[in-house]
Amino acid sequence: MEYLELFFKSIFMDNMVFATFLGMCSYLAVSKKVSTAVGLGAAVVFVLAITVPLNWLLDTYILKAHALVWLDGNLRTPELSAYYDYDLSFLSFILFIATIATMVQLVEIIVEKFSPSLYNSLGIFLPLIAVNCAILGGSLFMQSREIPTFGMATVYGIGSGIGWFLAIVAIAAIREKIRYSNVPAPLRGLGITFIITGLMAIGFMSFGGMLTGGSKKKAKKETKIVKIEKKTDAIQKKIAKNNEKVNQ
Amino acid sequence: MGLLTKKDAALIKDPLFDNNPITVQVLGICSALAITAKLEAAIVMAISVMFVLALGNVVISLMRNIIPSKIRIIVQLVVAAALVIIVDLVLKAYAYNLSKTLSVFVGLIITNCIIMGRFEAFALANSPWRSFLDGLGNAAGYGIILVIVAFFRELLGTGDLLGLGQKFMGHPLLGNPIPGEMSGLYALGYENNGFMLLSPMALIVLGIVIWVQRSKNPKLKED
Amino acid sequence: MEKRTDKNSYTLLFAVAMVVIVGTLLAFTAQVLKSKIEENRRIEKQQNILYAMGVNENEGTNVNFIPTDKVNTVFKQFIKKQIVIQGSKISENDKAYLIDVKAEQEFAKNPKNTRRLPLFIGEKDGKTFYIAPIRGKGLWDAVWAYIAMDKNMVVQGAFFDHKGETPGLGANITQRFFMDDFIGEHLLDKNGNFKGITVLKGNADPKNVDKLDNEVDALAGATITGNGVSAMLKDELKLYEPYFKNLK
Repeated sequence: MEYLELFFKSIFMDNMVFATFLGMCSYLAVSKKVSTAVGLGAAVVFVLAITVPLNWLLDTYILKAHALVWLDGNLRTPELSAYYDYDLSFLSFILFIATIATMVQLVEIIVEKFSPSLYNSLGIFLPLIAVNCAILGGSLFMQSREIPTFGMATVYGIGSGIGWFLAIVAIAAIREKIRYSNVPAPLRGLGITFIITGLMAIGFMSFGGMLTGGSKKKAKKETKIVKIEKKTDAIQKKIAKNNEKVNQ
Repeated sequence: MGLLTKKDAALIKDPLFDNNPITVQVLGICSALAITAKLEAAIVMAISVMFVLALGNVVISLMRNIIPSKIRIIVQLVVAAALVIIVDLVLKAYAYNLSKTLSVFVGLIITNCIIMGRFEAFALANSPWRSFLDGLGNAAGYGIILVIVAFFRELLGTGDLLGLGQKFMGHPLLGNPIPGEMSGLYALGYENNGFMLLSPMALIVLGIVIWVQRSKNPKLKED
Repeated sequence: MEKRTDKNSYTLLFAVAMVVIVGTLLAFTAQVLKSKIEENRRIEKQQNILYAMGVNENEGTNVNFIPTDKVNTVFKQFIKKQIVIQGSKISENDKAYLIDVKAEQEFAKNPKNTRRLPLFIGEKDGKTFYIAPIRGKGLWDAVWAYIAMDKNMVVQGAFFDHKGETPGLGANITQRFFMDDFIGEHLLDKNGNFKGITVLKGNADPKNVDKLDNEVDALAGATITGNGVSAMLKDELKLYEPYFKNLK
């Protein structure tokens, strides 16, 4: 159940593009055609699905403060372990990036081998996946939001990848259609894409309501109405009092 | 410009407008959206990026003949990350308050594709001095857009600018030294547009900036 | 002809050399600066604790701490007692303020462990303050706070801080207009049960006149940070409730 929740949350509520605005550069530059967008989106899903869990392992067993305690198996009383004092978290950026860059290079080699046409159209942006902030962002969010288990980290990686995939395919489809519209000349291309993305992001904000959804909210709402009524009563009384004073 | 030849000067001038990293090269957008709700943050970010980009460009340029092409991306990322981490550690030890303001940006600087983009597109093929200038120019071009967007977002969103705005605009209800009262423009019925503070508005403001820029310079128009 | 730098052996050698050089450089810098950084962190903790109980040099709407050179003596002067609550066991420990709340949260994830809860007892102008350090999650990264309460769990002062919330939005939790809103708010409901304080958007009481409603007004554009703060206050301060019950 919590897996499902995390999955949908990472696709819609915490959508990489529309909620946290990560991975914008490749999102804008490679979204002129749906077919390329699908290719890049798939690559991002794949890379995120691998790097987030890998980096989770790195973070949990090597980088975190007191993470090295498992080395001498002294888990009952971690404070007594010889490795208790180590805190390598300052290395996390570099190690995360190294993992990502290695995986990206792997994907690059695979794509080049199996789909040269895709490889040509992705051009400079395949290497740039490595700095696609969505990828590093995925790992950093995994770390800062303290995703508890390996399985959850995998689900989170796949979910945020799919969210990014959806976003880029959606904007690519819109851009293909908008070519036939009469957009003011200076706004064509990048400008209108920015504005559409902004509007889409506003739309995605409504998914935030899903977080508070369910039966809990209903109960809350009722009590709130009562409260607001009470408050308005009190405010009305105050106003009446003020009016009296003024009249006097 | 006695020090700089014409070609060198162009390295700094071009990225400011005609080849701007954000509006033309489409690099470094994420951070432009994340931190432009406040002018101060935008300025701090621009300065940090300038530092890292200029220095990183020089380092990469010095190593350009010995970096194996197969792993160049990893090398570039490691250089950028190492620079940022060292700066962060030094600041934490000697300028703790400043480091707290900057800590927000550490992750954003490393992931800023401007840095990777310029390493890859320029520093790998040019001399250290030219790379240094290219770094300065691109970071400045990036900073200009950041400052423009942040100016409008902070002014319209909070009525403040670097803590000075309230001298001219007066105080809204929230944050007024005299509780429960409004002054200045607010007393006349003006209200802040809180919507400007949300990140989607950064996209829309950026879109408008691009619109203005491209109507001034028709060369940049796309079909 | 193959370039010298394209050879596999050279690539491998370069990678190894780079890892060694960068690793040494980073580890060396981190080690050299470690004591200095820790000292800075200690000073900051003392300043924050004192700030929460109202010992600060605030002017206008600025947040000003006790200067770093004086903070150690001032801390000893105002903080009379530091205790650690672990289950039903209460012990005194004058290093309690150095307990890492994050590490304790991690530690308590294992149901076999009982979390250590530090609480600082300060006295100012004949009033007793109970200050609890708490920690939670915002939009991007961790948020934390020091909450000063009286013995009825009424908030007497609050200090909030964060690692990476969005400047101008979520980062405003460190502003006076947000922190001061909490002063006087009750953490218990009318029946004396623990309820926490909710950061609520569209609060019917934006001037926060009603201190009994367990609500404060949210920041514009910072819903997720606000939800994080609400959750943190609720989950973390609830752990302290048994201690306050025993005080009566």
